[in-house]
Amino acid sequence: MKCIKPLVKWAGAAILYTMVMPSPAFSQQKPDLSDPEIASVAVAANQIDINYAEIAKEKSKNADILEFAQTMANDHKAVIAQAVALVTKLGVTPKDNAVTQKMQADAEKTKKMLRSKSGAAFNKAYIDNEVAYHKAVISAVEDLLIPESDNNELKELLQNVVPALKTHLMHAEMVQKKFSK
Amino acid sequence: MKNYKALMRNHLYLLISLLFFASCSNRTDTPVHKVYTVEIKQMQFQPAELTVQKGDTIIWINRDIVQHDVTEEKSKAWTSSPLLTGQSWTLVATENADYYCSIHQVMKGKLLVQ
Ligand SMILES: [Cu+2]
Repeated sequence: MKCIKPLVKWAGAAILYTMVMPSPAFSQQKPDLSDPEIASVAVAANQIDINYAEIAKEKSKNADILEFAQTMANDHKAVIAQAVALVTKLGVTPKDNAVTQKMQADAEKTKKMLRSKSGAAFNKAYIDNEVAYHKAVISAVEDLLIPESDNNELKELLQNVVPALKTHLMHAEMVQKKFSK
Repeated sequence: MKNYKALMRNHLYLLISLLFFASCSNRTDTPVHKVYTVEIKQMQFQPAELTVQKGDTIIWINRDIVQHDVTEEKSKAWTSSPLLTGQSWTLVATENADYYCSIHQVMKGKLLVQ
Protein backbone atom coordinates (compact mmCIF):
# COMPACT_ATOMS: atom_id res chain seq x y z
CA MET A 1 0.00 0.00 0.00
CA LYS A 2 2.89 2.30 0.81
CA CYS A 3 4.32 2.17 -2.70
CA ILE A 4 1.01 2.88 -4.47
CA LYS A 5 0.75 6.57 -3.54
CA PRO A 6 4.11 7.61 -4.99
CA LEU A 7 3.32 5.53 -8.07
CA VAL A 8 0.03 7.39 -8.61
CA LYS A 9 1.81 10.69 -8.07
CA TRP A 10 4.52 9.70 -10.51
CA ALA A 11 1.93 8.73 -13.11
CA GLY A 12 0.17 12.08 -12.69
CA ALA A 13 3.44 13.92 -13.09
CA ALA A 14 4.35 11.85 -16.16
CA ILE A 15 1.04 12.77 -17.81
CA LEU A 16 1.70 16.44 -17.14
CA TYR A 17 5.19 16.35 -18.58
CA THR A 18 3.96 14.79 -21.78
CA MET A 19 1.27 17.50 -21.85
CA VAL A 20 3.71 20.35 -21.26
CA MET A 21 6.53 18.70 -23.18
CA PRO A 22 5.23 16.57 -26.03
CA SER A 23 8.48 16.69 -27.99
CA PRO A 24 10.41 13.37 -27.77
CA ALA A 25 13.53 15.11 -26.51
CA PHE A 26 11.82 16.06 -23.23
CA SER A 27 9.05 13.50 -22.74
CA GLN A 28 11.41 10.85 -21.34
CA GLN A 29 12.49 12.82 -18.29
CA LYS A 30 11.25 15.69 -16.22
CA PRO A 31 12.64 19.06 -17.26
CA ASP A 32 15.48 20.35 -15.13
CA LEU A 33 14.61 23.89 -14.07
CA SER A 34 16.73 26.48 -12.28
CA ASP A 35 15.11 28.97 -9.88
CA PRO A 36 15.19 31.83 -12.46
CA GLU A 37 13.43 29.46 -14.91
CA ILE A 38 10.84 28.47 -12.29
CA ALA A 39 10.15 32.17 -11.67
CA SER A 40 9.60 32.63 -15.41
CA VAL A 41 7.17 29.67 -15.57
CA ALA A 42 5.27 30.92 -12.50
CA VAL A 43 4.84 34.46 -13.85
CA ALA A 44 3.82 33.17 -17.31
CA ALA A 45 1.27 30.72 -15.86
CA ASN A 46 -0.44 33.57 -13.96
CA GLN A 47 -0.25 36.03 -16.85
CA ILE A 48 -1.88 33.51 -19.22
CA ASP A 49 -4.96 33.25 -16.99
CA ILE A 50 -5.15 37.06 -16.71
CA ASN A 51 -5.16 37.19 -20.54
CA TYR A 52 -8.00 34.63 -20.72
CA ALA A 53 -9.95 36.75 -18.20
CA GLU A 54 -9.47 39.84 -20.37
CA ILE A 55 -10.98 38.02 -23.37
CA ALA A 56 -13.93 36.98 -21.19
CA LYS A 57 -14.48 40.57 -20.08
CA GLU A 58 -14.57 41.66 -23.73
CA LYS A 59 -16.78 38.86 -25.02
CA SER A 60 -19.16 37.69 -22.28
CA LYS A 61 -22.31 39.29 -20.90
CA ASN A 62 -22.98 36.54 -18.36
CA ALA A 63 -22.71 37.66 -14.70
CA ASP A 64 -21.22 34.35 -13.45
CA ILE A 65 -18.53 34.39 -16.15
CA LEU A 66 -17.74 38.08 -15.67
CA GLU A 67 -17.46 37.75 -11.87
CA PHE A 68 -15.26 34.68 -12.18
CA ALA A 69 -13.03 36.37 -14.77
CA GLN A 70 -12.63 39.44 -12.50
CA THR A 71 -11.61 37.20 -9.59
CA MET A 72 -9.05 35.42 -11.81
CA ALA A 73 -7.59 38.74 -12.99
CA ASN A 74 -7.33 40.14 -9.42
CA ASP A 75 -5.95 36.98 -7.79
CA HIS A 76 -3.38 36.13 -10.46
CA LYS A 77 -2.20 39.77 -10.48
CA ALA A 78 -1.72 39.51 -6.69
CA VAL A 79 0.33 36.31 -7.14
CA ILE A 80 2.52 37.94 -9.82
CA ALA A 81 3.09 40.93 -7.51
CA GLN A 82 4.25 38.52 -4.76
CA ALA A 83 6.54 36.67 -7.20
CA VAL A 84 8.04 39.91 -8.51
CA ALA A 85 8.62 41.16 -4.95
CA LEU A 86 10.41 37.90 -4.09
CA VAL A 87 12.67 37.73 -7.18
CA THR A 88 13.53 41.41 -6.67
CA LYS A 89 14.47 40.68 -3.05
CA LEU A 90 16.52 37.63 -4.08
CA GLY A 91 18.15 39.48 -7.00
CA VAL A 92 16.92 36.83 -9.45
CA THR A 93 15.94 37.64 -13.06
CA PRO A 94 13.24 35.29 -14.49
CA LYS A 95 14.80 33.26 -17.32
CA ASP A 96 12.92 32.18 -20.43
CA ASN A 97 12.96 28.43 -21.04
CA ALA A 98 11.30 25.57 -22.95
CA VAL A 99 8.44 25.13 -20.42
CA THR A 100 7.51 28.83 -20.51
CA GLN A 101 7.67 28.83 -24.32
CA LYS A 102 5.48 25.73 -24.61
CA MET A 103 2.89 27.21 -22.23
CA GLN A 104 2.80 30.47 -24.16
CA ALA A 105 2.48 28.69 -27.53
CA ASP A 106 -0.45 26.62 -26.19
CA ALA A 107 -2.04 29.77 -24.75
CA GLU A 108 -1.89 31.49 -28.13
CA LYS A 109 -3.86 28.60 -29.68
CA THR A 110 -6.39 28.70 -26.84
CA LYS A 111 -6.87 32.47 -27.16
CA LYS A 112 -7.46 32.07 -30.90
CA MET A 113 -10.06 29.36 -30.20
CA LEU A 114 -11.80 31.57 -27.58
CA ARG A 115 -11.84 34.61 -29.87
CA SER A 116 -13.51 32.54 -32.61
CA LYS A 117 -16.57 31.89 -30.37
CA SER A 118 -19.39 34.05 -29.09
CA GLY A 119 -22.47 33.97 -26.85
CA ALA A 120 -23.24 30.74 -25.00
CA ALA A 121 -20.56 28.85 -26.95
CA PHE A 122 -17.94 31.32 -25.74
CA ASN A 123 -19.08 31.06 -22.10
CA LYS A 124 -18.85 27.28 -22.21
CA ALA A 125 -15.47 27.26 -23.98
CA TYR A 126 -14.05 29.80 -21.50
CA ILE A 127 -15.14 27.99 -18.35
CA ASP A 128 -14.20 24.53 -19.72
CA ASN A 129 -10.72 25.90 -20.44
CA GLU A 130 -10.50 27.44 -16.95
CA VAL A 131 -11.21 24.02 -15.39
CA ALA A 132 -8.63 22.27 -17.60
CA TYR A 133 -6.03 25.04 -17.23
CA HIS A 134 -6.23 25.16 -13.41
CA LYS A 135 -5.90 21.35 -13.24
CA ALA A 136 -2.77 21.50 -15.41
CA VAL A 137 -1.25 24.38 -13.42
CA ILE A 138 -1.93 22.69 -10.05
CA SER A 139 -0.09 19.57 -11.30
CA ALA A 140 2.77 21.67 -12.70
CA VAL A 141 3.20 23.59 -9.42
CA GLU A 142 2.92 20.53 -7.13
CA ASP A 143 4.87 17.99 -9.17
CA LEU A 144 7.40 20.12 -11.04
CA LEU A 145 7.90 23.67 -9.73
CA ILE A 146 7.85 22.97 -5.96
CA PRO A 147 10.17 19.92 -6.10
CA GLU A 148 12.50 21.72 -8.54
CA SER A 149 12.91 24.95 -6.57
CA ASP A 150 16.14 25.28 -4.58
CA ASN A 151 15.40 28.51 -2.72
CA ASN A 152 13.16 27.98 0.32
CA GLU A 153 11.30 31.27 -0.04
CA LEU A 154 10.49 30.46 -3.67
CA LYS A 155 9.29 26.99 -2.62
CA GLU A 156 7.17 28.56 0.15
CA LEU A 157 5.59 31.08 -2.24
CA LEU A 158 4.64 28.28 -4.63
CA GLN A 159 3.19 26.23 -1.76
CA ASN A 160 1.13 29.24 -0.64
CA VAL A 161 -0.35 29.62 -4.12
CA VAL A 162 -1.72 26.04 -4.28
CA PRO A 163 -4.81 26.66 -2.04
CA ALA A 164 -5.83 29.62 -4.26
CA LEU A 165 -5.44 27.50 -7.41
CA LYS A 166 -7.53 24.71 -5.88
CA THR A 167 -10.24 27.17 -4.82
CA HIS A 168 -10.27 28.63 -8.35
CA LEU A 169 -10.69 25.10 -9.74
CA MET A 170 -13.68 24.36 -7.44
CA HIS A 171 -15.20 27.75 -8.33
CA ALA A 172 -14.69 27.09 -12.07
CA GLU A 173 -16.30 23.65 -11.75
CA MET A 174 -19.28 25.24 -9.95
CA VAL A 175 -19.76 27.77 -12.78
CA GLN A 176 -19.15 25.05 -15.40
CA LYS A 177 -22.18 23.09 -14.09
CA LYS A 178 -24.43 26.02 -15.03
CA PHE A 179 -23.27 25.83 -18.66
CA SER A 180 -23.32 22.08 -19.23
CA LYS A 181 -26.51 20.80 -20.78
CA MET B 1 -41.02 55.30 68.54
CA LYS B 2 -41.69 57.51 65.58
CA ASN B 3 -37.97 58.37 65.38
CA TYR B 4 -37.02 54.73 65.51
CA LYS B 5 -39.34 53.94 62.56
CA ALA B 6 -37.87 56.81 60.54
CA LEU B 7 -34.37 55.59 61.33
CA MET B 8 -35.23 52.08 60.19
CA ARG B 9 -36.75 53.45 56.99
CA ASN B 10 -33.57 55.43 56.28
CA HIS B 11 -31.48 52.33 56.87
CA LEU B 12 -33.69 50.40 54.49
CA TYR B 13 -33.27 53.05 51.78
CA LEU B 14 -29.54 52.98 52.30
CA LEU B 15 -29.51 49.21 52.07
CA ILE B 16 -31.57 49.19 48.85
CA SER B 17 -29.46 51.87 47.22
CA LEU B 18 -26.28 50.03 48.20
CA LEU B 19 -27.63 46.83 46.66
CA PHE B 20 -28.63 48.76 43.56
CA PHE B 21 -25.18 50.27 43.09
CA ALA B 22 -23.52 46.96 43.87
CA SER B 23 -25.49 45.24 41.15
CA CYS B 24 -24.64 48.06 38.74
CA SER B 25 -20.92 47.86 39.33
CA ASN B 26 -21.15 44.07 39.03
CA ARG B 27 -22.57 44.47 35.56
CA THR B 28 -19.66 46.62 34.37
CA ASP B 29 -16.93 44.55 36.07
CA THR B 30 -17.73 41.20 34.46
CA PRO B 31 -17.74 41.43 30.62
CA VAL B 32 -20.84 39.71 29.35
CA HIS B 33 -19.95 39.92 25.65
CA LYS B 34 -16.94 38.13 24.19
CA VAL B 35 -14.83 38.97 21.15
CA TYR B 36 -13.94 36.24 18.64
CA THR B 37 -11.51 36.33 15.71
CA VAL B 38 -11.95 34.41 12.45
CA GLU B 39 -8.80 34.33 10.32
CA ILE B 40 -9.11 34.14 6.54
CA LYS B 41 -6.06 32.24 5.33
CA GLN B 42 -5.18 29.56 2.79
CA MET B 43 -8.57 30.31 1.18
CA GLN B 44 -10.52 29.27 4.30
CA PHE B 45 -12.42 30.85 7.19
CA GLN B 46 -10.65 29.57 10.31
CA PRO B 47 -12.64 28.45 12.23
CA ALA B 48 -15.27 27.83 9.55
CA GLU B 49 -17.96 27.25 12.17
CA LEU B 50 -18.28 29.45 15.24
CA THR B 51 -20.78 29.37 18.12
CA VAL B 52 -21.29 32.66 20.01
CA GLN B 53 -23.77 34.35 22.35
CA LYS B 54 -26.08 37.07 21.09
CA GLY B 55 -24.24 40.40 21.36
CA ASP B 56 -20.75 38.87 21.03
CA THR B 57 -18.36 40.50 18.56
CA ILE B 58 -16.70 38.65 15.68
CA ILE B 59 -13.67 40.07 13.88
CA TRP B 60 -12.71 38.62 10.49
CA ILE B 61 -9.14 39.37 9.36
CA ASN B 62 -7.72 38.66 5.90
CA ARG B 63 -4.31 36.97 6.19
CA ASP B 64 -4.17 35.84 2.52
CA ILE B 65 -2.39 37.53 -0.39
CA VAL B 66 -5.67 37.82 -2.35
CA GLN B 67 -8.83 39.83 -1.56
CA HIS B 68 -11.77 38.22 0.21
CA ASP B 69 -15.09 39.35 1.63
CA VAL B 70 -17.50 38.10 4.30
CA THR B 71 -21.10 38.07 3.05
CA GLU B 72 -24.37 36.66 4.44
CA GLU B 73 -25.28 33.99 1.89
CA LYS B 74 -29.10 33.67 1.74
CA SER B 75 -30.25 37.28 1.36
CA LYS B 76 -26.95 39.24 1.39
CA ALA B 77 -28.22 40.78 4.65
CA TRP B 78 -24.70 42.00 5.44
CA THR B 79 -21.29 42.15 3.77
CA SER B 80 -17.81 43.33 4.69
CA SER B 81 -17.12 44.47 1.09
CA PRO B 82 -13.68 43.43 -0.26
CA LEU B 83 -10.95 43.11 2.40
CA LEU B 84 -7.34 43.57 1.28
CA THR B 85 -4.47 41.70 2.93
CA GLY B 86 -4.35 42.68 6.61
CA GLN B 87 -7.75 44.39 6.64
CA SER B 88 -10.45 43.30 9.08
CA TRP B 89 -14.19 43.65 9.57
CA THR B 90 -16.37 43.45 12.68
CA LEU B 91 -19.91 42.20 13.25
CA VAL B 92 -21.99 42.05 16.44
CA ALA B 93 -23.85 38.73 16.37
CA THR B 94 -27.64 38.88 16.39
CA GLU B 95 -28.78 35.69 14.65
CA ASN B 96 -27.57 32.48 13.00
CA ALA B 97 -26.04 32.95 9.56
CA ASP B 98 -24.55 30.96 6.71
CA TYR B 99 -21.95 33.18 5.14
CA TYR B 100 -19.49 32.95 2.23
CA CYS B 101 -16.89 34.89 0.27
CA SER B 102 -18.73 36.36 -2.72
CA ILE B 103 -15.39 36.67 -4.55
CA HIS B 104 -14.57 32.95 -4.13
CA GLN B 105 -18.04 31.48 -3.84
CA VAL B 106 -16.88 28.05 -2.66
CA MET B 107 -15.45 29.55 0.57
CA LYS B 108 -18.12 29.11 3.25
CA GLY B 109 -18.61 29.73 6.96
CA LYS B 110 -21.30 29.31 9.62
CA LEU B 111 -22.26 31.46 12.58
CA LEU B 112 -24.38 29.90 15.35
CA VAL B 113 -25.86 32.44 17.77
CA GLN B 114 -27.21 31.19 21.11
CU1 LIG C 1 -12.39 34.87 -1.04
